[in-house]
Amino acid sequence: MSTLQAQPLRAEASAPAPVDYRRARRAETRSGYFFLAPWLIGFLLLTAGPMLASLYLAFTDYNLFRDPKWIGLENFEKLFNDSRYLQSVKVTLIYVLVGTPVKLAAALAVALLLNSGRKAQGFYRSAFYAPSLIGASVSIAIVWKALFSDGGIVDLGMTGMGFQPGGWVGDPDKTMPMMILLATWQFGAPMVIFLAGLKQVPRELYEAASVDGAGALRRFWSITVPMLSPVIFFNLLLETINAFQVFASAFIISGGAGGPAGSTLFYTLYLYIRGFGDARMGYASAMAWVLAVVIGLITWVMFRTSKGWVHYSGETK
Amino acid sequence: MKNRPLLAAAAALCAVSFGLTACGGGDDPANASGEDKAAAGPVTLNYTWWGSQDRADRMTKAIAEFEAAHPDIKIKPNFTDYEGYWQKRATEAAGGGLPDVMQFDFSYLRQYADRGALLDLKEVEDGVDLSGIDDSLLPAGEIDGGTYGVPIGTNALAMYYNPDLVTQLGVEPPKEGLTWDEYNAWIKEASAKGGGNVWGAGDYTGVLWLFDMKLRQEGKKLLDEDGKLAIEKSDLKEWLASTDELRQSGAIVPADRITQISPMSAMGAKLTATEMSWDNFLAGYLKDSGAAKIEMLAPPTTDGEKGLFVKPSMLYAIGANTEHPEAAAEFVDFMTNDPEVGEIFGTSRGVPASKAQRDAVAAEGPDAQVLEYEKAIAEDLDESPAPLPAGFGTLEKELLRLSEEINYGRMSVDQAVEEWFTEAEAALEQ
Amino acid sequence: MSTATSTATAAPLTDQRRPTPPAPRRQDGARARSLMVHALSLVILAVVLYPLLWMVMSSLKPTNQIIGDPSLLPTEASLDNYRTALAGIGGISAWTFARNSLFLAVVSVIGTVLSSAVTAYAFARIEFAGRKLWFALMIGTLLLPFHVLIIPQYIVFNKLGLINTFVPLLIGKFLAAEAFFIFLMVQFMRNLPRELDEAARIDGCGHVRIFISIMLPLMRPAIITTSIFAFIWSWNDFLGPLLYLNDPEKYPLPLALRLFVDQTSVSDYGAMIAMSVLALVPVMLFFFLFQRYLVDGVATQGLKG
Repeated sequence: MSTLQAQPLRAEASAPAPVDYRRARRAETRSGYFFLAPWLIGFLLLTAGPMLASLYLAFTDYNLFRDPKWIGLENFEKLFNDSRYLQSVKVTLIYVLVGTPVKLAAALAVALLLNSGRKAQGFYRSAFYAPSLIGASVSIAIVWKALFSDGGIVDLGMTGMGFQPGGWVGDPDKTMPMMILLATWQFGAPMVIFLAGLKQVPRELYEAASVDGAGALRRFWSITVPMLSPVIFFNLLLETINAFQVFASAFIISGGAGGPAGSTLFYTLYLYIRGFGDARMGYASAMAWVLAVVIGLITWVMFRTSKGWVHYSGETK
Repeated sequence: MKNRPLLAAAAALCAVSFGLTACGGGDDPANASGEDKAAAGPVTLNYTWWGSQDRADRMTKAIAEFEAAHPDIKIKPNFTDYEGYWQKRATEAAGGGLPDVMQFDFSYLRQYADRGALLDLKEVEDGVDLSGIDDSLLPAGEIDGGTYGVPIGTNALAMYYNPDLVTQLGVEPPKEGLTWDEYNAWIKEASAKGGGNVWGAGDYTGVLWLFDMKLRQEGKKLLDEDGKLAIEKSDLKEWLASTDELRQSGAIVPADRITQISPMSAMGAKLTATEMSWDNFLAGYLKDSGAAKIEMLAPPTTDGEKGLFVKPSMLYAIGANTEHPEAAAEFVDFMTNDPEVGEIFGTSRGVPASKAQRDAVAAEGPDAQVLEYEKAIAEDLDESPAPLPAGFGTLEKELLRLSEEINYGRMSVDQAVEEWFTEAEAALEQ
Repeated sequence: MSTATSTATAAPLTDQRRPTPPAPRRQDGARARSLMVHALSLVILAVVLYPLLWMVMSSLKPTNQIIGDPSLLPTEASLDNYRTALAGIGGISAWTFARNSLFLAVVSVIGTVLSSAVTAYAFARIEFAGRKLWFALMIGTLLLPFHVLIIPQYIVFNKLGLINTFVPLLIGKFLAAEAFFIFLMVQFMRNLPRELDEAARIDGCGHVRIFISIMLPLMRPAIITTSIFAFIWSWNDFLGPLLYLNDPEKYPLPLALRLFVDQTSVSDYGAMIAMSVLALVPVMLFFFLFQRYLVDGVATQGLKG
């Protein structure tokens, strides 16, 4: 996390006379908090406060109409006996563990493709990026559902290729591929980041490797991947966290119920159903905290293991 | 009371922060909208219901009638399908923002009334005229001495069949008074001839009220007087397993077809030749399927017992948070008692509860058919269900969901039974 | 995260596309390869754009020809669906929904830009006690799932009687709740020459003056990027309005679309698709006008769409 910390400012060098140093420092701190105030208030009221509140609620039975009742670990015990909860965990994990790598692989492949051509790269880059802007919108969820329903273009295409007819929307085995395709369709954002990373890779490295007789695949594994590893790591982290939070598309495609047969019951959706549909706020808070802890752990593990495979070139401190 | 100080502190801090942003500029979001509503002019009521396109069409007409008669009140209509309807209401109730006037279901009335989300109509002076409504029906809307719902109609369970589809399949239509086994055999035969395009029926075991009817036929009850479950797990297991063979042999509509046509019914989408549901669904079926005629008869029986009963089909309720209780009551009164509204809806909201509307129902076409049906079953009726406990809606919803899981082959009947009992007991405890 | 930092430091927002010297043409193989690249790119382009094209084309078809018709081109194009869509739903015109969306988006942009810029200035230019701690916490909120917050936030707004107002949707924007934008602006400010504000300080200017008259004008590119993203995120937001707004009169477009899904998906598919198209128009417009800012913003900061 070291790079995430604020870098020391060079300003001190030119601070006024040493006598006034303390007073100036205090004045700086006052100004600092003056400027920081909006964020600080927001952080305390909209982030830190609610986090603590929901930690408390996770140990209560609360339905908004009665005061919260302390029930200890009961919510957590119930969670792990709740088959729909376990289903939502499964659905979300598959989506994250399969969808994210697929999306990133697509992004990297296209980035490599675009990087190897020169002309019109800007055009393709922009065009491929467009889905990332609108992919999470309700409009696209509606379109996606139509494309994959009975008699939709995917059904027609697959039937034409000799597969059994039938839309994907109604088939619990195919809704997950459908959702992953929707995520993959939005490969543009990580692709743009990959492209920016690829530009930083010195061409001389490739040329030297070519001279040494390394093939394309070899060059990819021993130059591109290591040189790109910070970007891969960044994309992986970002996309993993985003994937955990998918909501609008699942909500629209399943009509808010996570169906068919719970196959699109994403964690967020189930949390919404329990918290806001059944008014079981305590239970939903427990769900939220389990997720926060899991995401925290995943992030921690990613940062820890990243030391082994992420190579920072000299200029990054 | 435990976390009051915490919330209060957060609330106070929040209020302070609003003050800050308000000072910050002219764009204070707080009064950006909503305020203009208080301006003089006609009162606007939010009104919401669940139902099919047919109901929406009739509603549009009824609302036009009302607005013509009450130029000072404007209705903003809104509707969804049944399941989405309750999810939305739950969220709104939590935020104290229910619509002014709502179509309500017997299964959910107590839950909302208990939480203080509904207006006691007795508190509205010159409110809804209940004098024309049958005395035996009024208790359906009464909870702990308050009147929270106005019953606007009654319905009973029925079996429908689409004669065109039956002919097309080349089978005999189902007969009055058949047993469950005979009905299942009929479904099997019809589906076999449908060749994967049309089926005899959908899996009816997901409908809680049909299960209730079956229990009544066996002399049992779903709930005891305290509103607790009065059945054994074996009862539910037997019921859900009764269509096992049909499911396995592909004799009922595959679950994925049902999912894709949702929110339409299988009968409305002409996927099945028969369907069992409430007798006020006829109009919706006709509209959705475009069929010229749909026949009605009594559902299957057990040892000659029909187990049929009449219950309030729907009620009207007013949100406790409404700013215009008088206007809302005025609207409910109109929708409940006005003869022209009665004529517009016919029996599609159930057989009208108020005498004025009942008399206005045309004695021809589908409405006559429904009246005829209720008359035919009237002699042999079971008692009407007592007011339903809070959480009953969850019982209905869960059975439907678990049935879907079974039909997708994701769950065994045993698992479904276990899960339904867990969910049902938790819901009834709330 | 550090890569974002490094790419950003290496190449500030606008000069992402440094002209690369054209690769010397070596052999015929290069030309063939370039052709291949183009062909592949075109195939990908077709796949990527198909859903959008389908949406626009379908909105011109009558309802019963949308599903089950493999041809993209409508046999006879008509704007009927748009007429129905614009008429709105539940007695509320589509313009009302659009106005709500626009109001929310514009106020979001103002709030986000102001609060993020002020916060970023504190982090980037003022040396105050606790700065490192707060900065780390701010970055930490980037990784925090929003789930943990929605329930208690909802409860508080509920107790304050603010459900069914725009306040819960906007208050966070004025309090710099979106750490991405702060981060973006901090990175940008760090690349601005310090000599400018140091000179101003020596002249006796306070932080407020420096911020307003020196920093803000220089931050134009970062402000534009922030504005565009803040606008689009607000425009597409579904969960927030879903939780906080009850009255259809206050619905922004995504919720209005959901009403369409609920009420007309069977009867008027065409109008629903037309409404979907209309809901995307402003986003696409932004995309065409500002694609460079958008794409470069992503390239340097890892902003998600």
